Amino acid sequence: MNVGINEYLYLSAVLFAIGFFGVLLRKNTLVIYMCLELMLVASTVALVAFSHFNRTMDGNVFVFFILTVAAAEVAVGLAIIVALFRRRQTIQVEELNALKN
Amino acid sequence: MSPELIQAAADNRWAAIAPELSLGCLALLLLVLEIFLPKNRQSIIPTVAITGQIGLLLGFVWNLRYGPFVAYETFSGLIRHTQEGQFMRGFFMLTSILVCILGVIALAKQKLPKVEFFAITLVVSAAMMLLAQSNHFVLFFVALETVTVGFYILVSYFRTSPLSLEAGLKYLITGALSSAILLFGIVLLYGVAGNPTLPGSSSDSMNFNALRVFLEANPDNFLASVGIVFVLAGVAFKIGAVPFQIWIPDVYQGAPTPVTAFLAVASKAAGFSVLLILTKNVFGSYQTLLVPVLSVMAIATILFGNLAALTQHNVKRLIGLSGVSHAGYLLIAVIAAATEPLAAGAVYFYLFAYLLASFAVFGVMTHVAGANDADQDLEHYTGLAKTHPFLGAILAIGLGSLAGIPPLAGFMGKLLIFIAAFKAGLYTLLAVAIVGVVVSIYYYFGWIKAAYFSTWTAPLLEGETDTRPARTPVSLTAGMTLGLLAAATIVLGFYQGALGEWLLAR
Repeated sequence: MNVGINEYLYLSAVLFAIGFFGVLLRKNTLVIYMCLELMLVASTVALVAFSHFNRTMDGNVFVFFILTVAAAEVAVGLAIIVALFRRRQTIQVEELNALKN
Repeated sequence: MSPELIQAAADNRWAAIAPELSLGCLALLLLVLEIFLPKNRQSIIPTVAITGQIGLLLGFVWNLRYGPFVAYETFSGLIRHTQEGQFMRGFFMLTSILVCILGVIALAKQKLPKVEFFAITLVVSAAMMLLAQSNHFVLFFVALETVTVGFYILVSYFRTSPLSLEAGLKYLITGALSSAILLFGIVLLYGVAGNPTLPGSSSDSMNFNALRVFLEANPDNFLASVGIVFVLAGVAFKIGAVPFQIWIPDVYQGAPTPVTAFLAVASKAAGFSVLLILTKNVFGSYQTLLVPVLSVMAIATILFGNLAALTQHNVKRLIGLSGVSHAGYLLIAVIAAATEPLAAGAVYFYLFAYLLASFAVFGVMTHVAGANDADQDLEHYTGLAKTHPFLGAILAIGLGSLAGIPPLAGFMGKLLIFIAAFKAGLYTLLAVAIVGVVVSIYYYFGWIKAAYFSTWTAPLLEGETDTRPARTPVSLTAGMTLGLLAAATIVLGFYQGALGEWLLAR
């Protein structure tokens, strides 16, 4: 079978959708966080595929920027999650409801 | 900018982003000072941050004196310096100064390290300045993420308070979600605009100019339309437009008050300057897609923001939801900007009036708040005008301007937007906006009423103490800042002068 640009895009769209619905439906903050990373990775799959089939390098270079940004986001995000867990002893989203009118 | 500076920028392009670089260096300087200064001298660090930024802002404004600004590109088309970009640069430097001034007051009530707050604020401001001038999706994304990651830290800065951390987590999840959606949109646009078999394709398809050419050559490409909707969704999150406003009340309530002000003013302004660049120039040929999407969004945003704000008791949530409705009015101007040249100027003028009024109100909130920053109830404002007439007056002017009461600056901002919408023929949107303004007067005046008219409260029983936090005395710097903001709000309502001419002459 010949794998063309469309197959890569379907894969990327499926990964993105799994990540998106994971963020909306899952209850554990860490799993939500993994789903967010999955969405970023889905974008990079599409980016590399486009870069290959369009014969330009920009896409491949952009992937490095995305990875760097994602790493920074994880560093800050996990720090917040750990600090919150030490205060509240939970990271289940349905129990994090102290902010209200 | 002077001709010599432009020449210098042509030779050494780094000079073109001197304000951003200086802000970044100032941030590093603060961290270095923290290491080398003895403990008892560290209180000068905030002063260094504020005076340094005032110096930068004055130098920047001084450089604007050379007539009309000619747009030019640097860094191989990554950055496009425009007149609007210059305005937003000054805007973000001003917000950064005000956030630092409020930060000094708010941090004094907490036992927390202080220097990082100023350093991160400066870096975030520099990134926003780059974001408002970006002309390429790589720089756009990196600048946007620098802003967002900086805000994650700032929102959860009061890390001893579970509420601040919870707000941080909520901002983190919704912010990362919107960034991922935005990124997917960018990837789709990059891929489709770089496809060599389509007309108008480019090898540098993340560049805004190349993308515009491509979109003009392919007026209804499906993948490009999906990409545009995804990018708009990511930007709509930043400005807090419905249905991406879900994070606003909780994050605004939990974040430290100066950070709430930063989010409400600078983050929203960054979103709108980017949205204007995208809808007016880059996506300009997809108006048949943009206009319905943005119109529905604007109507929903105005109605939701105003109606949800009616029932709020916590003033931070109230001002957050009222900010949502302001985003709705601004969206109308963004839609009008496609056909009506006045509208873009109206957006910038409105943002500036919103800055002055919001910081006046947030300044008062910082003084009224106690050590628990998330607990700021309308009830805490009872009798404010009697015990603190100065704060009461500032609050009334700020809220009046936000409500759009003539002759304050907020009224002129709304008027300009309504004129632009009328000229562009957006009558339905105009009607919704006017209904929204009328509703908003109710909750803004509820707040003023709490400060000015005493309501009967049960006298304290013996042994019972007042649960309301003690109000912070107004320092000279804070008093001068608040006074200036209020005075500028009044003056700008009567006389728009050079600023109005500069923004509206197109």
